[in-house]
Amino acid sequence: MRYVGVAAVWAYRFTLAPFLGVGQCKYHPSCSQYAIDAYKEFGFFKGTLLAGWRLLRCNPWSRGGVDYARDQKVFK
Amino acid sequence: MIVASPLQPLEDLLRHVLNALHSVGLPWAWSIVGLTIIVRMLLVPLTVKQIHSMQNMQAHAPQMKEIQRKYKGDRTKLNEELMKFYKENNINPAASCLPLLAQLPVFIGLFYTLRHFAKNPPGGQAAIDRGDFSWLHFVPDITKHANSHWSGYVLLTIYVLSQVASTYFMSGTMQKSQRYLMMILPIAFIPFILRFPTGLVLYWMTTNLWTVGQGLITRRLIPKVGPPGGPGDSGPKRSSRTPPKGPPPGGAEAAEAAEATPAPKPNNAAPRRVKRKKKARR
Repeated sequence: MRYVGVAAVWAYRFTLAPFLGVGQCKYHPSCSQYAIDAYKEFGFFKGTLLAGWRLLRCNPWSRGGVDYARDQKVFK
Repeated sequence: MIVASPLQPLEDLLRHVLNALHSVGLPWAWSIVGLTIIVRMLLVPLTVKQIHSMQNMQAHAPQMKEIQRKYKGDRTKLNEELMKFYKENNINPAASCLPLLAQLPVFIGLFYTLRHFAKNPPGGQAAIDRGDFSWLHFVPDITKHANSHWSGYVLLTIYVLSQVASTYFMSGTMQKSQRYLMMILPIAFIPFILRFPTGLVLYWMTTNLWTVGQGLITRRLIPKVGPPGGPGDSGPKRSSRTPPKGPPPGGAEAAEAAEATPAPKPNNAAPRRVKRKKKARR
């Protein structure tokens, strides 16, 4: 199930991402990589929530920085 | 259709705008161009923040170069160090993902709106015969597939060129291999795009050209930023790269005016900038 998520991220990378004019994410790793890590580590549902929360944080008013999926603080 | 249905209100809205543009007197093809430009203009506030932080990055480029030199061999480590550096210096790296994703439903909605438009052209065959869907005298019918007439290939060429150019401008900090991939991808999409209605190619072309224009404005203004802490630093930094409909902060100031008056003029962005610079000096 979690690989559905990983596949979805890859599909995004190869179809929609080029059209959005993607630069580089302000976080390390990038949001899509974070999503893949989150899916692999936490499964589909938690992974989706984590990736969504990461996307929300990756906005013009946040500062970015180093942020690994395994260091997440949402699920204990 | 599964993707489209949640976007129905957005599509309806876009269709209304398209119809309104046409009823004002624009031919359909130009209405598509107009609609695209309107959408992009509305998205400008989202990109302005990114552009400002891009300038900030530019100002700190020497230090970043130093980090890059130090960790040349280790890409992961380099990235981490760079990101830490951004954080220490209060730099917003140019791109963040959320504004990009905000464009996603709009573009998908626009795509469906235009596809629906091309499949059900208002006025039917009679309107097509009247030439209501021609563009600039060389595209006979924007509702037909792009490969149905030589003009479609012309548009396609412009599309690919504009796509490559927009990628070039948008991917300033991207890794080389990634950048090449991004540039090759539009070429891989050609077989699919050939089957799109010409109107859609027109839309894509317009949106890419808009990106290129934005990139050109950005590029032209970035080199004017002095090194961090330099005397003329605060002036050009706050210069407006905001296209006409930009948001208030720094929007009114023209680039030239900012150049002529390097003395800091108080505005919304000023206090934050000062803080940032202090941190950078330490």
